[in-house]
Amino acid sequence: MSQALTQVLASAAFVLAAAWLAHRQRLGLSRSLLTAALRAALQLAIVGALIALVFEVPVLAIAFVAIMVATASLTAGSRMRALPGSRRIAIGAIALPALSAVGVLLLVGAFDATPRATIPTAGILIGGAMLATTLTGRRLVEDLTGGTDEIETRLALGDRARDALAPLTRRAIAGAMVPLLDQTRSAGLVTLPGTFVGLVLGGASPETAARVQLTVLLTLLLVQLLSALLTAELVTRAATLPGERVAVPAAAR
Amino acid sequence: MSEPRADRIDGLAVRSLAVGHGERTVLRDVAFDARKGTVTALVGPSGAGKSTLLRCLNRLLLPQAGTVLLDGADTAELEPTALRRRIGLVGQVPVMLPGSVRENLAYGLEPAAVDDRSLAQALRAAGLDAAFLDRSAAELSGGERARVALARALTRAPELLLLDEPTAALDAAAAHHIGTTLTTLAREGLGVVLATHDLAFAANVADRVVALRDGSAIVGAPQELLA
Repeated sequence: MSQALTQVLASAAFVLAAAWLAHRQRLGLSRSLLTAALRAALQLAIVGALIALVFEVPVLAIAFVAIMVATASLTAGSRMRALPGSRRIAIGAIALPALSAVGVLLLVGAFDATPRATIPTAGILIGGAMLATTLTGRRLVEDLTGGTDEIETRLALGDRARDALAPLTRRAIAGAMVPLLDQTRSAGLVTLPGTFVGLVLGGASPETAARVQLTVLLTLLLVQLLSALLTAELVTRAATLPGERVAVPAAAR
Repeated sequence: MSEPRADRIDGLAVRSLAVGHGERTVLRDVAFDARKGTVTALVGPSGAGKSTLLRCLNRLLLPQAGTVLLDGADTAELEPTALRRRIGLVGQVPVMLPGSVRENLAYGLEPAAVDDRSLAQALRAAGLDAAFLDRSAAELSGGERARVALARALTRAPELLLLDEPTAALDAAAAHHIGTTLTTLAREGLGVVLATHDLAFAANVADRVVALRDGSAIVGAPQELLA
């Protein structure tokens, strides 16, 4: 049996096991697990077929990054659907920090300005921005819905709407940074992050792989913090009504 | 039984008010006065619009129509945060903010304007002694929380105080105690407006009753409406 076939079979078996386990535990997640896995397989197959072309033609590379941002924004936006303008919030909070960071890294020459170097870096930063946006947005929607008594208490004591929301946004931002902080702290000890693994598997020296990985991880710290802050700011604006009042989202998802 | 039309009331004058949620109107053409130094009780079954009406008085909600005047000035024209310091609200669920009782009482106040003496005075007015200042707010019992929430509203030196179901979480003795506290505060010049489904409590403390029923309000003396 070829190694390729073994890889496909092994990963399929793991997904099926996860779906079965979720079904047994009545988590209502089986379908999501399977469709997410299928989507990933399809998307990676398509990207695998196209990426060689994308690496050669810069216009396609730009289109590719645009698709990354759009997909990440749709995904993160759907997690805070209860808020008005959730999609616009997600686009702003993801694209601005992630693309600015890519620009800076290219400008100072940390990476070669080639599609081959830019696309994976942009992908990681956009993915991180998406995670921070999703976590911040979801937590805020939950707290806005479940914390109406606390918000009303602060407003009734004379807070401006922005000040009444500030404790919620601070909690949401701090919470959104936890996964990356843990990943950064444990890098090399518990996890060998994706960039490192990819580069080593691709034949780069471990030293190069570690250096690139560190650059990405530390860039992510700022990108994700900015995404979380932007999400919090945009949600605060969306939830603030004239007359120092706060709009409660219709229902948390 | 109709209220006087003179709008220069020392306190709140509610005129032709309609309140509701979104498109739905719960109460229409509500008119009553809540003068400083008196206790006004909004009574009615749950869902009658008591809480909604109460929140329109300090503009946490906006009325669909009509006006609320404070000392003759349209509350829609006043700066909302200043208005809410003049008209305090104690919600049905006494939410304790993180930290000590002292931090709760001083919340949102200018640090320079805060001293233990004034905080202790607010605590005493709400029926707690000064020793509570250093307690963690999270550790208080339900009745103590209700009193700290009341004291916290009082530290803003409000002219009027709105209370949503002040006896909901309390036993009979504690309810009696809070009633005495509120009538004492009213005698000292505070305007008290409380929403309650407890008619006996309303009869005991209120100078004036606004009965909410079937989307409208009837105003009268307790002995007329609660007999």
